[in-house]
Amino acid sequence: MKRSSLIRDLQGAIGRRWVLHAPEDLLVYEYDATIDRGLPEAVVLPDDAEGVASAVCIASNHGVPVTARGAGTGLSGGAIPCEGGVVIVTTRMNRILELDPENRIAVVEPGVINLDISRSTAPYGLYYAPDPSSQKACSIGGNVAENAGGPHCLRYGTTTNHVLGLEIVTADGVVVWLGGKTADTPGYDLTGVVVGSEGTLAIVTKVIVRLLHKPEATVTLLAIFDTVTQASRVVSSIIGKGMVPAALEMMDKNTMDAVEPFVHAGYPPDAGAVLLIEVEGLKEDAQEQADAVASICRELEAREIRIGLSQEDRDRLWAGRKGALGALGRLAPSYYILDGVIPRTRLPTVLDGVYEACDRFGFRVANVFHAGDGNLHPNVMFDERVQGATKKVLDLGEEIMRLCVDAGGSITGEHGVGYEKRNYMSWIFSPDDLEVMSRLKAAFGASEIFNPGKVFPTSKGCGEVSSRMRAAIARVGADAFV
Amino acid sequence: MIAQATILDDLSAIVGGEHAYPADESQRFVVDGMTPRAVVEPGSYEEVAGVMRYASEQGLAAIPLGGGTKRHIGNLPSRYDLALSLSHIHQIIEHEPADLTVTCQAGISVAELDRRLRVHGQRVPFDVSHGQQASVGGVLAANTNGPSRPAYGALRDFTIGIRMVTGDGRITRAGGKVVKNVAGFDLCKLYIGSLGTLGVIVEATFKVMPVARLERSVLLSLDTPGGACALSAELHRRGLALSHVQLSGRGDATGYSWLLETRLAGSEGAVERSENEVVGLAPGSHAQPAGSDVSSTDRFSGEHFDDSSLLCRFSTLPSRLAAFIGAVQRLESPDILAEPATGILRVSWHEIDGATVLERARQIAASHSATAVVERCPPELKQHIDVFGDPPPAFQLMRSVKQQFDPKGILSPGRFVGRL
Repeated sequence: MKRSSLIRDLQGAIGRRWVLHAPEDLLVYEYDATIDRGLPEAVVLPDDAEGVASAVCIASNHGVPVTARGAGTGLSGGAIPCEGGVVIVTTRMNRILELDPENRIAVVEPGVINLDISRSTAPYGLYYAPDPSSQKACSIGGNVAENAGGPHCLRYGTTTNHVLGLEIVTADGVVVWLGGKTADTPGYDLTGVVVGSEGTLAIVTKVIVRLLHKPEATVTLLAIFDTVTQASRVVSSIIGKGMVPAALEMMDKNTMDAVEPFVHAGYPPDAGAVLLIEVEGLKEDAQEQADAVASICRELEAREIRIGLSQEDRDRLWAGRKGALGALGRLAPSYYILDGVIPRTRLPTVLDGVYEACDRFGFRVANVFHAGDGNLHPNVMFDERVQGATKKVLDLGEEIMRLCVDAGGSITGEHGVGYEKRNYMSWIFSPDDLEVMSRLKAAFGASEIFNPGKVFPTSKGCGEVSSRMRAAIARVGADAFV
Repeated sequence: MIAQATILDDLSAIVGGEHAYPADESQRFVVDGMTPRAVVEPGSYEEVAGVMRYASEQGLAAIPLGGGTKRHIGNLPSRYDLALSLSHIHQIIEHEPADLTVTCQAGISVAELDRRLRVHGQRVPFDVSHGQQASVGGVLAANTNGPSRPAYGALRDFTIGIRMVTGDGRITRAGGKVVKNVAGFDLCKLYIGSLGTLGVIVEATFKVMPVARLERSVLLSLDTPGGACALSAELHRRGLALSHVQLSGRGDATGYSWLLETRLAGSEGAVERSENEVVGLAPGSHAQPAGSDVSSTDRFSGEHFDDSSLLCRFSTLPSRLAAFIGAVQRLESPDILAEPATGILRVSWHEIDGATVLERARQIAASHSATAVVERCPPELKQHIDVFGDPPPAFQLMRSVKQQFDPKGILSPGRFVGRL
């Protein structure tokens, strides 16, 4: 009867209507954009920080874990419930509480959709810079948890560079502010460590974000190359010359083949790679950078360069990139989205290694990624229904992660560690490094309650889930993002 | 208590005889009037770890020091046994220009790192005074930023990895060497600004940026801080090629003179247009392109504050900055250096009654929703105040972080917020 008393307590605190516990209701919340599943005991939808705090206290009293969930678009299992735990869903906390154009800040609740911030601030000529590809769907709370990135993070940085303060609920149910609206606040930068902590330290209930002025001019260039190696050299050359465009994205042949029938972008059928480069700033600067980029592309034998100045033209150049993942979903029943980072000078050699490994394992791979900051996203196509295929694709993923780490890189650039990669943490961090991270978790008193088993290996995780290797295998279809 | 001679012998065994010695009267290692019992200068990360293990075993309080330019920041140390000098750990470990990243040791000076990177047309956008002396590790520990923050980011934005030796002598790493990385907790953020209270920063990796092809300054004399702030807001709204906007003011009860320095950086076309717009927006003001004689006494920088008897750093909302300046300027006519775009200002008083002025300054700060930190004041005053003011809302969490990282209380004890 432990279960019913948990539900009763939650209903008493949050209201019957906002506590889900029927099996058919829970099913909706057992997954995110990965293939992982975990059936929670209860799902609650509080309306404010006090409601979140009550739910945390009740879960804590009942000794069950808590997982926070925004829109569920994550690619590392951050919102996958722990079996038998409580899921706190932030979708009702979706208000923009304050908009202060003069100081270029906004205070928002965690359930606010990323793109809605920029939509609301557009009349003031302001926008919120981090733009994960799922920005029409993903919530700012989830962005904070995962330190979400996106194409334009090359120039503007990821979520952590745009969050000034957080209201959080701690493991003991206390509501407290970290950071604030002013540029400097005394004390340790706890905002900076909660961002990207993947729901393991605290639950975020308010976010102060920084807004940027929209640039005066933006120029988008699309350059087509015969080979990935050529395109990689262009990336290295642009960065090596000290230019940091707003975005610098690459798609390979397999991606173009998938995209072309749907988007009709006009990619030549025999092209090997395409680069999408965006530069912005004052019109004088944007023009000069665009000229410099175009001349590098020409020098390194781009077969075609298209330039977009108007919003409409630029949208057309971006269409192929934005539709890439959806299109890839049509080529294979499943695909496995990898997320690794390498130093930018290593792009050509590591990409060769990725293709070689995929050939050896017998899988098709489509690379569509943030080339400018060395953030690879190989998408490995496979068929889950084939006996042994999932295991094989995970082995391949591990090998590709090894390539990234051996090149001096990291196991994740923007998707997070979650369940999938916690076993790789020891490739880049020593036991001492990990021990120091655990001190932070202990300081937040969050060791057992928030998202146990994620990011770090633990014996007291989500039972069955923690005993298995898990993979971020995206669902097929247009709702997948990278 | 362990004898000083024993400490020196034991430290010599770790770092070699000539690198452990008693502090002399040269003031180099004095912190708020306190002289350490020993100075130790490790030459490697392993030696730093060895020193910290020893300090931990013996319960000796250590304060890590680089160039010592920011020793005046922080509360009075509750104890000070060892000055842990990082000045012998000062190499560039790795710089791959085409990756736009650099890894260097904590003891290298900001100026030396800058010099070495400029050979490749690159720089880390540090924005500090005393760059010849200030060490990279010290800048990180004190979280020193300047008016170029809106253009190039703060330390927390361009620092991508930190190697830190813990209080119990483990060499640990946070972050990495790639520009985008979300693996594990971002402890770099925690260490930046921790003022030596969580560990000893021994190495850091930064994003580097190209040196601007063209940089020019325009100095504008303005009548009021309000006019300067409004002008600055308009310049930012237009997205002009600004790398630095700083307002300096000095005067007395009869009047103040205000100088807005805007630095412009970028392509020739962008800088030229920006300069025209800056000048056009401030009719009647006196624009002086960089290179002309601007050594006027009206202009001053952070170095000017070295002999302050009370130096405070306030952070308010940009929209409230002008009103804040108006209020604080009536308080014994201090020198004021402000960043209109961030709402940060540093205010320096000379020859005043520190306690009284500070109390009133804090009242002004509170009524303008500003945070207030005393950056410099005599040790006698520090005995009676917390230089960081009232503990922040998350103080309980901060205390618990300090306890986890420094259970023995040997890392710069007493110096941080709430005397942690």
